[in-house]
Amino acid sequence: MEKILEIKDLKVHFNTFAGTVQAVRGVSLDLYKGETLAIVGESGSGKSVTSKALMGLIPKPPGEIAGGEILFEGKDLAKLTEKEMQNVRGADISMIFQDPMTSLNPTMTIGKQIMEGIIKHRKLGKTEAHKLALELLKLVGIPNPDVRIKQYPHQFSGGMRQRVVIAIALACNPKILIADEPTTALDVTIQAQILDLMKNLQKQVDTSIIFITHDLGVVANVADRVAVMYGGKIVEIGTVDDIFYNPQHPYTWGLISSMPDLDTNEDELYAIPGSPPDLLNPPIGDAFAPRNPFAMKIDLEQEPPMFKVSETHYAATWLLHPDAPKVEPPEAVKKRMKKSPNKKEEN
Amino acid sequence: MAGTQEKLLEIQNLKQHFNIGKPNEVKAVDGLTFDIYKGETLGLVGESGCGKSTTGRTIIRLYDATDGKVVFKGEDVHGKKNRSQLKSLNRKMQMIFQDPYASLNPRMKVEDIIAEGIDIHGLAKNKEERKQKVVDLLEQVGLNKEHANRYPHEFSGGQRQRIGIARALAVDPEFIIADEPISALDVSIQAQVVNLLKDLQKQHKLTYLFIAHDLSMVKYISDRIGVMYFGNMVELADADELYSNPIHPYTKSLLSAIPLPDPDYERNRRRIAYDPSQHDTSEEPEFREIRPRHWVLCTTKEFEAYKQEFQNKES
Repeated sequence: MEKILEIKDLKVHFNTFAGTVQAVRGVSLDLYKGETLAIVGESGSGKSVTSKALMGLIPKPPGEIAGGEILFEGKDLAKLTEKEMQNVRGADISMIFQDPMTSLNPTMTIGKQIMEGIIKHRKLGKTEAHKLALELLKLVGIPNPDVRIKQYPHQFSGGMRQRVVIAIALACNPKILIADEPTTALDVTIQAQILDLMKNLQKQVDTSIIFITHDLGVVANVADRVAVMYGGKIVEIGTVDDIFYNPQHPYTWGLISSMPDLDTNEDELYAIPGSPPDLLNPPIGDAFAPRNPFAMKIDLEQEPPMFKVSETHYAATWLLHPDAPKVEPPEAVKKRMKKSPNKKEEN
Repeated sequence: MAGTQEKLLEIQNLKQHFNIGKPNEVKAVDGLTFDIYKGETLGLVGESGCGKSTTGRTIIRLYDATDGKVVFKGEDVHGKKNRSQLKSLNRKMQMIFQDPYASLNPRMKVEDIIAEGIDIHGLAKNKEERKQKVVDLLEQVGLNKEHANRYPHEFSGGQRQRIGIARALAVDPEFIIADEPISALDVSIQAQVVNLLKDLQKQHKLTYLFIAHDLSMVKYISDRIGVMYFGNMVELADADELYSNPIHPYTKSLLSAIPLPDPDYERNRRRIAYDPSQHDTSEEPEFREIRPRHWVLCTTKEFEAYKQEFQNKES
């Protein structure tokens, strides 16, 4: 598969009065053409900051890209000036934000907001831009586009607004679409509609999607590959089947078992103890070690490298070291592993 | 858990309308009837705007009901009451709110937030007892006594929700309404709070009304689940029964929309769309018991059709 984006050892810091917050601490990631990569993790794990760095949306100051490269079509996005970045943003890479209530301008008609990017990046005239905007509204499934195009955001429901936001993001046929929790603010039924819409559109316009979320159900629905982030790092990455049916990192185990599915009947839900690490003073060794029931001595001393599980699957945990003791994953994870489609065929 | 079938709360034809008589009148809750049994957890689900939060708030008398009755242990919650009657009612019913950031007064210390109810109801004889009570409550919800002298902004979302829970427990209530208590929290923290709520229920023999839109979490915590749509309850059944045998088309559609953390299931998922016009409109639908403990909102004709559906399923 063709690589479209390559992130190498990205580091993002924020300088605050209390000290430097190391929000992203060395993320390396490839994005392939036409795939959907989901980034999961709890708040503060650095998933949103990573995506904002790709868009050049890190406020500087207090933020800074402290190291690493973001390679897109031979350019390093981390080193572009704001002017240069403006030609990329919205044209080659565009973004769908979490909250459709606040990401639209309340004083502009939605037609104008869609046309804004088209006129700027595709250098089209007003009439042509208007035509294209109408087509986009049709594409994202908004009924009566000729009427709706003249309306303001407050006249739309949440789900409809998110469709408008998607239309704006798609206006310039971006090569990469970053969706930062696009359905978190929506109801389940509307969420299902928007996810279906995004999947269909992806097939039609052939774009790569980076999907940021903390909802593993949504991940299972949309993703081809999954990256699990914790404490500003990727701790496990693999195909969606690798992550759900053969997870290796104790944090991934914790995430999976703390989410009940409809068969969960255990008396006690597994909860990851403690709280996320303080990235002002990142812990030495494995950042997850203090919350990890499987932690070993080395976890507190030395950071684990990425161990290869298979061609597509990597995880950063010392448990994968050949000298590590064999541990049994929690019950809920073992149950999940048994549901694997490959396992079913074997049986 | 729903072994004892003693009714704690009866809700009869409850209505809550806003802007009555004006063109923008909203019938947020329109004729709800259901019971809550002692010691159970009743989950209430539905999309935003269906009236589930309004139901919770009306039950606890944060809103004055437009019509209908809420009977708590044989006593009507609404209607004229003097201060002491209200006070004793408020002690038995408490609420946990959705947003742990907005529901705690930023100018009050945690100790005073938790002890507010204790002070109002005069549950502590002196300062030492008050302090001791607060420390006990903090420990019960997994915090410690050092936290008593801090302010809310010093805590994370999960910890704040624990403070909210401690505040609700302070007056020793029997019934707690939890309005989306976990939806503002991170996944890993959600499980902690849900476990805490379950433990406390066992220790204090609490009854919960658990309002949420995360259907898998609701299934996990609830004994029975009610599904709301447009101010009405369309289906009410035991949690397992509702998920394995949904009858009302809206429930089916809602269940088919939940994304589950299982990629194989997701690839083969079929979404069912809900079309309100498919209903029989020849008469007003009523809430009918289709199987023991399984209630559905339907007309006579639909009632027969649904029953038929069941027989076909079983044979």
